[in-house]
Amino acid sequence: MEDIVKIKGMKAGLILSFTRGAKFDEIRANIQNKLESGNSFFIRGTTAYVSKDTLPTDQIEVLRKMFHQHGMLFRTELPKIKVENPKTEPIKKLPPEEDPQQMIVINKTLRGGQEVRTKSSVLICGNVNPGAQVIAGGSIDVRGTCRGMVHAGAFGNTKAFIVADQLIPMQIRIADMIARSPDKMEKSETPERASIKNGHIVIEPITR
Amino acid sequence: MSVRIVITSGKGGVGKTTTTASIGVGLAQRGYKVVAMDIDTGLRNLDLLLGLENRIMYDLVDVTRDNDPIPYKKALVRHRKYETLFLLPTSQVQNKDAIKPDKVEKLCNEMDKEFDYILLDSPAGIEEGFKTAIKPAQRAIIVTTPEITAVRDADKVIGELGREGIDDIKLIVTRLRPKMIEEGDMFDMRDINDLLAIECIGQIPEDEAVIKATNRGEPVITMEDSMAGKAYKNVIGRLFGEQIPFYKPPKDSFFTRLKKLFGML
Repeated sequence: MEDIVKIKGMKAGLILSFTRGAKFDEIRANIQNKLESGNSFFIRGTTAYVSKDTLPTDQIEVLRKMFHQHGMLFRTELPKIKVENPKTEPIKKLPPEEDPQQMIVINKTLRGGQEVRTKSSVLICGNVNPGAQVIAGGSIDVRGTCRGMVHAGAFGNTKAFIVADQLIPMQIRIADMIARSPDKMEKSETPERASIKNGHIVIEPITR
Repeated sequence: MSVRIVITSGKGGVGKTTTTASIGVGLAQRGYKVVAMDIDTGLRNLDLLLGLENRIMYDLVDVTRDNDPIPYKKALVRHRKYETLFLLPTSQVQNKDAIKPDKVEKLCNEMDKEFDYILLDSPAGIEEGFKTAIKPAQRAIIVTTPEITAVRDADKVIGELGREGIDDIKLIVTRLRPKMIEEGDMFDMRDINDLLAIECIGQIPEDEAVIKATNRGEPVITMEDSMAGKAYKNVIGRLFGEQIPFYKPPKDSFFTRLKKLFGML
């Protein structure tokens, strides 16, 4: 059976077109399905386009909401420059999917210039030195001193958190929020945990 | 079988070549047969520090070139005083890409039987020259000063070495100024050890003797009365696993401080 929602990948984003005569409910269910399948097409920050005249305004608004919920952008008009050449640029392949529930373990110190990038959570048995980066879709646990840049919930998970024996990073990022270190850093003796509370990144001591 | 040690740092001007020269002499003083290879093609210095510039006939480029290479024995320069220390100089006119990492590794394999130690003096940076220097190495000595820039670069280099599978890495900190550390204006050893987390085998104080030694072409380790010379002597001991405590400068007494205060000293 032919898919009622067709997706075309372009430099500017994804272009969605629908089979003539398809019901809106079906279209919506179909897109919902695709968004939730974790398909590599739907990367956060990608723009989806639906031509303005294919659907009535209220239905377009429903779709807009759905895409926004998944961290994507939504537009009804293509940027002008890119229209001439519709099928160039194959979609960038992402590394194999990792479930956000999973956790990867790094059994060494991350030094300046080294980077860990994953969709899952990360456990680091070692330090994260300045100049190193950890970017995780889930949470980050450093069994050591964390001085580098750490980004938890990098794909939008605001419930992600960061724990370290000594949490003195250059920057902490959780989902789309950034906190930078104070210019005068105090060393803390207890492990600490950073998470989003009431729209702010909050750091609090924990025991473990 | 030889032990191959690369001396590297990331940042320039921290004392890689000074360290290479002193370790070379130190090992030769203990009777080992040592070759010190300068990998810093285009900016060679090791020959100057060993006072051997005028004896260079052939260089690393001649030895590793594809067409009609010179046998390495012709390029080796024996030290005037320490007969088991040899320099393998590099070219001053060519640049870094005149030497291929594979060729240098092959050369080290050839020299393997003849020498106890092969020291590779790496250029600054983490580009080709650095890669050439670390390719044949089994061990590494990282040199840094107690400044944040040098320490950060050292950290990065340790990461790069780890990627090449070199995990026997030792640290030498040079140009330590006890007074600045006391006053908190410089990274102290604890901060450095905290961050780099590798074994430190040398703490070399800032010492005018280093400059004198360099300009005379005698590695500072031979100036046995100098602070830096003593510190390098201890480095050699620690390389062989000897337990030597780090030298701590005596604190000024109350009267000395008082005299300094009044400008009497």
